[in-house]
Amino acid sequence: MTASLAAAPTAGSPEAECYVFGVVDAGTRLRAPLEVGLASGLRLVEHGAVAALVGAPPPERALGRASDLVDHDRVLADLASGGVAVVPLRFGTLLPDDATVVAELLEPRHDELRRLLDVVRDRVQFTLTARFERDTVLREVLEDNADIQRLRAAADDGMGSRLALGERVVGELMTLRDGEAAALLTEIEPVVAGQERQTSDPLDVARVSVLVELADAAAFEQRLEEAARRRAGRVTVRLVGPSAAYDFLDGG
Amino acid sequence: MTSAVATRRGSYIDRPSPSSLADVVELILDKGLVIDAYVRVSLVGIELLTIDARIVIASVDTYLRFAEATNRLDLYEKGGKDLSELTESLSEGGASGKTSGAIEGAEKKVEEFIGGSDDDSDDDGDSGDDGDSGGQRQRARSRSSSSRRRSRSSEDAE
Repeated sequence: MTASLAAAPTAGSPEAECYVFGVVDAGTRLRAPLEVGLASGLRLVEHGAVAALVGAPPPERALGRASDLVDHDRVLADLASGGVAVVPLRFGTLLPDDATVVAELLEPRHDELRRLLDVVRDRVQFTLTARFERDTVLREVLEDNADIQRLRAAADDGMGSRLALGERVVGELMTLRDGEAAALLTEIEPVVAGQERQTSDPLDVARVSVLVELADAAAFEQRLEEAARRRAGRVTVRLVGPSAAYDFLDGG
Repeated sequence: MTSAVATRRGSYIDRPSPSSLADVVELILDKGLVIDAYVRVSLVGIELLTIDARIVIASVDTYLRFAEATNRLDLYEKGGKDLSELTESLSEGGASGKTSGAIEGAEKKVEEFIGGSDDDSDDDGDSGDDGDSGGQRQRARSRSSSSRRRSRSSEDAE
């Protein structure tokens, strides 16, 4: 990717005709697709049991506008949440023609693609972020820890005393986070798989993507709703999805 | 942040619909199957977004930020402090405001890069919302160093 980016043309290259969103089963029926932007003329290029989902790239400019990103995501999300198994390709994948789509993607990776389709079949991804409400949790930390109260009282203009206070507060937040994250993730079970992301922000409780059975999606949302309600005022829960299973394409 | 709790459809979940640009970037950037030779995008600006969100959290800065927040919290709670403490809190508050302003500035810059004015995120300015994990960022970092410098200098100008 590094090499291709370095050599990437800054304007749309005339020879590229196929914007590839992802891979689906051959024979998949496309419901009325949104006929805008990248998704114009959405169609399938089939080979064996798999098919590339192909749209027309914008003719006279480079990819990378906000609307391109949104189109890419929306096309894949619509399919996934509509029950179509779809393996997303990296945003920005442009191939010159149908023959190359087959030669570079569908033919050499046919079996891998079939396996990945089985991983994501009838499943969707949700991405959730839970964050502490700062003042609520700081008040808690202050009330529950006499040593932090002492540090606070002793903190003066000196950098050292403020650092000591901050370090202790952040340490306490990390401890609270671990318990809170574990509880939250338990409450939203069952999920097919989960992937937690590293985060260095002390107010983050969890940043996690989960793979959920499509049939269980509504129940999952309800479980999360309950978990969020129980934490209202202390933890904010943010949810993106359902989307294609971007984070679950290896392993399986 | 409290306003995020009161929400559409009476939900306790903050659920952007449609997803904000920042959400989409975090969701799809660096994700998905790759056919190496054929990814052609000017992603410079997008990478900036995630990088700048990550450098927000340097530990010393974090400690100072939370020390300040803890101090301020007490000030609000009890409503009375002597003058020197009050001055200290105020000056710290000023510094923090400047920092987060610069970060927002950088994000705004990024959205200009990728043309995302139609679709602003509804972030409330809290830092770290766009943080992401991964060693993959290492590549991004080296690749976009020149544009990153540009962004830095624009922050300085603010």
